[in-house]
Amino acid sequence: MSIQGLHGDEVDFENTWAQIASAFREIHTKNASKLSYEELYRHCYRVVLKKKGEELYKRVQNFEHEWLSNEVRSSILLLVTPQLSSHDMVATTATEQRTAREKFMKGLNAAWRDHQTCMAMLADVLMYMDRVYCTDHRQISIYTAAMFLFRDDILCAPITGGGGTGHVLGLLNQVILDQIQMERAGDVIDKYIIKSSVYMLEHLYEDESESEDKRLYVRSFEVQYLDTSREFYKREAELMLRDSDAGAYCRHTTRRIYEEEDRCKSTLSEITMPKIKKVVEDELIKNRIEELVGMESGVRFMIDNDRMDELNLIFDLNSRVDDKKSELTKALQKRVVEMGTDVNSAAIAASQAPAPAPEASEKGKGAPAERTLNQQTVAALKWVEEVLQLKDKFDRIWRESFESDHPLQTALTQSFSDFINSPTFPRSSEYISLFIDENMKKGIKGKTESEIDMVLEKAIVLLRYIQDKDLFERYYKKHLCRRLLMNKSISNDVEKQMISRMKMELGNNFTLKLEAMFKDMTISEELTAGFKTHVHQLGDPDPKRIELSINVLTSMTWPLESMGNGDSEDTKRPQCIFPTAVDRIKQGFEKYYNTKHSGRQLTWLANMGSADIKATFPKVPQKDGSFKERRHELNVSTYGMVILLLFNDLSAGESMTFEEIQARTNIPNSDLIRNLQSLAVAPKTRILLKEPMSKDVKPTDRFFFNEGFQGKFIRIKVGVVSSGNKVESDRERRETEKKNDDSRAFCIEAAVVRIMKQRKELSHQQLVAETLTQLQGQFKPEVPMIKKRIESLIEREYLERIEGAKVDSYRYLA
Amino acid sequence: MATEKKASEYVTLVSEDSFEFVVRRSAAIIAGTIRRSLDPTYNFEEAQKGRVVFPTISGIILEKICEYLYYHEKHAESKDVPDMEIPSELCLELLIAADYLEV
Repeated sequence: MSIQGLHGDEVDFENTWAQIASAFREIHTKNASKLSYEELYRHCYRVVLKKKGEELYKRVQNFEHEWLSNEVRSSILLLVTPQLSSHDMVATTATEQRTAREKFMKGLNAAWRDHQTCMAMLADVLMYMDRVYCTDHRQISIYTAAMFLFRDDILCAPITGGGGTGHVLGLLNQVILDQIQMERAGDVIDKYIIKSSVYMLEHLYEDESESEDKRLYVRSFEVQYLDTSREFYKREAELMLRDSDAGAYCRHTTRRIYEEEDRCKSTLSEITMPKIKKVVEDELIKNRIEELVGMESGVRFMIDNDRMDELNLIFDLNSRVDDKKSELTKALQKRVVEMGTDVNSAAIAASQAPAPAPEASEKGKGAPAERTLNQQTVAALKWVEEVLQLKDKFDRIWRESFESDHPLQTALTQSFSDFINSPTFPRSSEYISLFIDENMKKGIKGKTESEIDMVLEKAIVLLRYIQDKDLFERYYKKHLCRRLLMNKSISNDVEKQMISRMKMELGNNFTLKLEAMFKDMTISEELTAGFKTHVHQLGDPDPKRIELSINVLTSMTWPLESMGNGDSEDTKRPQCIFPTAVDRIKQGFEKYYNTKHSGRQLTWLANMGSADIKATFPKVPQKDGSFKERRHELNVSTYGMVILLLFNDLSAGESMTFEEIQARTNIPNSDLIRNLQSLAVAPKTRILLKEPMSKDVKPTDRFFFNEGFQGKFIRIKVGVVSSGNKVESDRERRETEKKNDDSRAFCIEAAVVRIMKQRKELSHQQLVAETLTQLQGQFKPEVPMIKKRIESLIEREYLERIEGAKVDSYRYLA
Repeated sequence: MATEKKASEYVTLVSEDSFEFVVRRSAAIIAGTIRRSLDPTYNFEEAQKGRVVFPTISGIILEKICEYLYYHEKHAESKDVPDMEIPSELCLELLIAADYLEV
């Protein structure tokens, strides 16, 4: 019984369909509450069981088609009014237009919603058909089919009349776009309506595959949306670049991006977000960033005026479109190098401005030259200060505006080292060393430890940028040497701190010699003390009580040659003839030293020592009428002492010529000139008188003891010209560079041999590359120089060329 | 009345021979057909009354189906489910009804 009941008997298809169709009509007119679901379902079930599924499917489709095109379409088309089209602005106010548009969208949305609901119900009723017939016959479900019907019958319905062409969908797109355009212009629009329309488009597909990217939304609306947006933003970018400054542009762009993001969330679809963002970024940033950065009020202006937030905006924008932020980086680097070059040329200008005759400084002697050198030293310090300021400035920008971005930091470092190592400005190594020198001598006086720390840190920061570290080492050694020997350094601790910092920064190798210098100083102190007790023990009371304080320096570690005055022609320095009293004690020390370290040879460097002399000036009438003996303690250079002691043996009024002095002392020419200058020319320490009285010392000049010398203080320091650490004159610099090149040659050869020893055979290219990397920490060798060194090594049979190799190759010869 | 029914936790299933089974809604809607007929958004007659009539299913079968619906609800999440006893003479009819009800 019940089997029959479910199966039913013969079903009258036409009858059943009539029932179903009328029920459907009820559903479409929202009268479903009177219908029994079970009954309808049962009808459809039966029809399908009777293999009439296909027929049913077609009938339903047909029914829907009829319904949509007869009932729904007409009501939609009614809403299509001329006001809708934004091109017919004639006689329509914006409000009218907006109302018409909203009405249109509302109507369409309502039709869509109804269709969806009804179809869901229909689909439920027809569930058995979907389950059995559609699955078996690979038909799309009736619901989907009906959705397509909606697309075809409603959205693709051609619009006739009203002058409009195209179809409903096109119009809808246009309407939405117009609304969005209004919002962009600042109007308030009904986002909800648009959202519903978008929702509809999202649920309709272009074909039956129903894949994500075939949605009508993606295929139809989004394409147009992106296109119009692109147009819009392109125009806007042009306008903005013309009319406003870079800061405003950045702010505006950021706002636009947020707006678009927002719009995607509230009005359109989230899937559009990345796409529209890309459009905005492309149009407002990527295609414009170059112009933007280069604007008058662009990056350069922002840097100069510390516009941190604007820089941050630019950074943000640029990083949106470019991970490397190349445009910003480029502008930044350019500005750093520009400013750095300014600092460089300012330093050069400052060092040259007061020297109308640059050749004066080349001689490296005489008072005017000294002034020039002083000026240059000031310029050097100023340079360092300015570079540090620049560094501070960009560090701050980097921290505050660039979110401590790593690539940018690298770029900044690169630019700094670019201008610091700029070939047009070869003095940075020297200047930095001078800066440290200055601080060691004066700068750190009365500063707290942390302040000193900061100064040292600054110096290290600059040091990092230096490419030719060996050159710096040379200068530093020279400056340190002077500080140590002349006791100019304020605190040994700070010196040592500095060196340990450099050690951390540049490695052991770099500071080895510097440390050795300190060691020599300590040993020398011990030696001096030891010698003093030794003399006492000898019980050889020195009649004139000369005390000797000595510094024994290892000749390899100390840059002694650079302590000279640059007269390298007399490399074999003639021994100075000491007065007998001094000579005796000198020999005494030599004996003492030999007992301690046999086999070592001491070379006396009188040009670097100093002496305290107690001098008694005879009673001669003074200008102020006083008439008494005056005692002064004179602190002079060793040479100065030797010269003055000569005058001890002369009776009053006797004189010596320059040549005589030289003959009796054997002091090198230039040293003698300088010492005599300070003794006889400098007004405050005129212990000797010169005839004729002039600024220059000529070989024929005669010198007298100045009996009438008068000084304000008991202790008088007789400075010798150019004994402090100053900027080198051009000639000295050439000297230093030449020496540097020489030592570089050794370094390169050593590196090449090391590499070849390890590799045995290597092509030329590889060898050069490896050499470059090995020496990176010390300096940047020039390739021709490396080539030369390789040649020289081949000549000396360390290496040989491999015959017949495809590329130039070398073999190591053990 | 409609709102009262909607909120109701139980629904009534009626068989061909007028047996009424009051079943918990959560169990009843395991069957697709019953679920859809009761869907309040579509508001068919059944949904308003909370009563579904099956003029094609006998009381015995519907009883068995109700039993299964509870059985299914109870064991839905557990493993090693004990077999449900089904008298062999009901098998065919049950299968047809199950197809119809989409159980």
